Amino acid sequence: MKRETRNKTQEWLVSFPSLFWLALFFVMPTAFVLAVALRPSNPYGGIGAGWTLENLRRLADPNYLIIAWRTIWISVLITFICILLAIPIGYYLARVTPKWRNFFLMLVIIPFWTNFLIRIFAWKVLLHPEGLIKRLLVFLGMAAPQTSLLYNPAAVVLVSVYTFLPFTILPIYAAADKFDFTLVEAARDLGARSFQAFYKIFLPGIRRGLFTAVLFVFIPSLGSYIIPDIVGGPTSEMIGNKIAQRVFVDRNLPQASALSVILTLSVLAPLIAVLFLQGKKEKPGAIF
Amino acid sequence: MKRSRFPLMITVAVLFFFYLPILILVVNSFNASRFESSWQGFSLRWYARLVHEPEIWQAARNSLIIAFSATAVSVILGTLAAVALHRFSKSRLQRFHYTLVYTPLVMPEILMGISLLMFFVSSGVRLGLFSIFLAHVTFCISFVAMVVLARLQDFDYSIVEAAQDLGAGWWATIRKVLLPMLLPGLMAGGLLAFTLSIDDFVITFFVAGPGSTTLPIRVYSMIKHGSPPLINALSTVLLVITFSAVAMSQRLSRSNQ
Amino acid sequence: MTKSREIKSRYFGLAGFIFLFLPMIFMAGCGKTKPRLNIYTWADYFKPGLVSRFEKEHNCRVVIDTFDSNEAMYAKLKAGAMGYDLLTPTSYMVSLMHSQNMIQRLDHRLLPNLIHIDPDYLKLAIDKTMDHSVPYMFVYTGLAYLKSKVPDFVPSWSMFDRADLKGRMTMLNDMRETIGAGLKFLGYSLNSTDEKELREAKEVVLRWKKNIAKFENEQYKTGIASGEFLVVASYSGDILQVRRENPDVMFAVPRQGTVISVDDLVIPQNAREMELAHAFINFLHDPAVAAENTMFLSYLCPNKDCYPLLSEEMRKNPAVFLDPEIRAKCEILADLGEANALYIKIWDEIKAAK
Repeated sequence: MKRETRNKTQEWLVSFPSLFWLALFFVMPTAFVLAVALRPSNPYGGIGAGWTLENLRRLADPNYLIIAWRTIWISVLITFICILLAIPIGYYLARVTPKWRNFFLMLVIIPFWTNFLIRIFAWKVLLHPEGLIKRLLVFLGMAAPQTSLLYNPAAVVLVSVYTFLPFTILPIYAAADKFDFTLVEAARDLGARSFQAFYKIFLPGIRRGLFTAVLFVFIPSLGSYIIPDIVGGPTSEMIGNKIAQRVFVDRNLPQASALSVILTLSVLAPLIAVLFLQGKKEKPGAIF
Repeated sequence: MKRSRFPLMITVAVLFFFYLPILILVVNSFNASRFESSWQGFSLRWYARLVHEPEIWQAARNSLIIAFSATAVSVILGTLAAVALHRFSKSRLQRFHYTLVYTPLVMPEILMGISLLMFFVSSGVRLGLFSIFLAHVTFCISFVAMVVLARLQDFDYSIVEAAQDLGAGWWATIRKVLLPMLLPGLMAGGLLAFTLSIDDFVITFFVAGPGSTTLPIRVYSMIKHGSPPLINALSTVLLVITFSAVAMSQRLSRSNQ
Repeated sequence: MTKSREIKSRYFGLAGFIFLFLPMIFMAGCGKTKPRLNIYTWADYFKPGLVSRFEKEHNCRVVIDTFDSNEAMYAKLKAGAMGYDLLTPTSYMVSLMHSQNMIQRLDHRLLPNLIHIDPDYLKLAIDKTMDHSVPYMFVYTGLAYLKSKVPDFVPSWSMFDRADLKGRMTMLNDMRETIGAGLKFLGYSLNSTDEKELREAKEVVLRWKKNIAKFENEQYKTGIASGEFLVVASYSGDILQVRRENPDVMFAVPRQGTVISVDDLVIPQNAREMELAHAFINFLHDPAVAAENTMFLSYLCPNKDCYPLLSEEMRKNPAVFLDPEIRAKCEILADLGEANALYIKIWDEIKAAK
């Protein structure tokens, strides 16, 4: 009994700081802007009076469907490549001696303290039609002289993978570092093949890290607009671009809000479902 | 027991991939050309100009101040959040808490920026470095919390409870049991928060006040009118400083042992 | 051993945080004795030496913050951001802001240098009496091309119909500019709100879209200088700057006419340093100052008394001082109010089409 009340107060004490901060600086402003989705827009960028479902109705435009589909498959591809690369790196970092570990960690993250735009421009130089990479590819017969390495979905994927990879490495490393590798060795001693041990023991052992890593790359990819803007072509427009266009060019904040609502809900909904459905059955901390 | 070389190979390959554009960036800082189009000859003119551009240094200073303070605060708040979420995971409060922590990750930055601006304006918070700091902490908490949460997976709280039952005060428990175990997660989360803060453009653009320009804002506007190679020069300088700091701390930690 | 380092590093972190946080708080309340003029403008838009001269002459501090697009600046100010005393939006944005009561009437008594403004320009301007805006710099949109690689260049919007240059051209990622190019090509006005004309322009742009690599607003400078692109829709001042490095790059205004973009000096409604802001506007139109800024930017300040002070190269440049026949066909973009929605719809369709 005593422990239970101590737990309750402990729970509130520990949760309070972040709850308070997020409630104040995140929930209130966000609720307001999302409510704006239900207001009419006026052509001068202001928000009209009254309420309307017009913005939500306009979301049914087939143009949006094309863009949404394109955004989704590009984001899935980016996520897949990032995870594929981040797992071996997280694994390696977790097994290496502590003094090398910090060194490698810093090595991984320092490039990303340079400015985002400048890095993208550096990629434009690398992928220039007369740059070294293109010339190498033509020499190896892997590309024709007219093919452009830039301004297509492949360039968007490449630069996005570059941008989001460190955000996938860090959570996987954080989880893998704690993982007890003797389990894997024990499994191998018992006859499991390396890959099997890896797949059945290691991966579930870092499942939260994997989930977080997926989150940290999939979501930003969905909303990204600067990368498709700079290295994407006229047919690489994504949802993020549309939201940016609605806010800035069209001065239609309500419509931008409506788009964001759909984007947010479509990613939130599966999670909420998982949260509230599985909460009863599985042990704590299965997914979260 | 044979250890596969595969993870090491991937790590080296990816590091090479990471540093390729950095190499271009550094090389171009010595390029006399303003448009990074072709090599126009070796030149130190951008470095020379950098010395005379107080606005850029001011912006860099602002970015660093905000990044350090936002990282510190968001690591504390994010860790607390992760601890609460893991420890009390079955309660309704935590499920609500989790949604609260998760949603900022999902919200598009433009909307978050505008909503924070409107909130600050209507509640009388003056736009400036402080408003940027508040905004950065708000989105960093979620990232830190998720990373630390990943670290806490399968962590058994009974150790903590046992320690407390044996009479250890909560500060001692935290120091000797929880923190050492969490440290890699805190470090990963801190690095993440710092990186996010120092490079954030969209949200910062909206909540910055007069005189509180940060480096990303400055760079974005320089693309249209200014000379981007100046930023290459600045980045190179910052890279050199950072690498030296890391190398020095490595040497210090080795001599400590 | 490791633990003591951890504790030390944690205390260091906490101390560092405190040390860094405190100055921030104190900076907020720091009272400076000199008045401060907050300008929100494009990057590198005033010659640095001139700004410090102004600071000395008026014993004040000038703080320059920068934005990267009119739209971003507008979105921020509309959402309530304050504290700026002077802005430099482009003309169409000025009409919009004026209609939204976001900018003030100017006090001409504090602006004696306005007599130097070019009356020919004022005939084209939207705010002809300079009631709430004073023009600062203007540029023309035109075509930049590589002389050696495009020998049969024609100064006309029809260049975008050239399938042999496919994939090596760009158009501006700007709704009004690109649809405007289509309108001009067909002989209509850039500010047209006629649906039939706009649909025709849309067909033209869709045709052109097949030949371009992308829509690009800034990187065409690097693109054309490096030979990545051969023909780009661009702004005159930018190309003049590129020419200093790569003389193979030429600029021409299409003979069907084009957009004149003017950046105006305006004072927002809630500005604090009104006198200083007016003083700065006045300072910028001192002919010698205007000439220096013009040479610095390679744009053109419509200050007639600064023209004789410009270099001969500039005065003779047809991209700076246009042939009067072509100039008669050029227009300044106006804000279209409700008709914007029509343009947005067409632009969306253009962007979405394959």
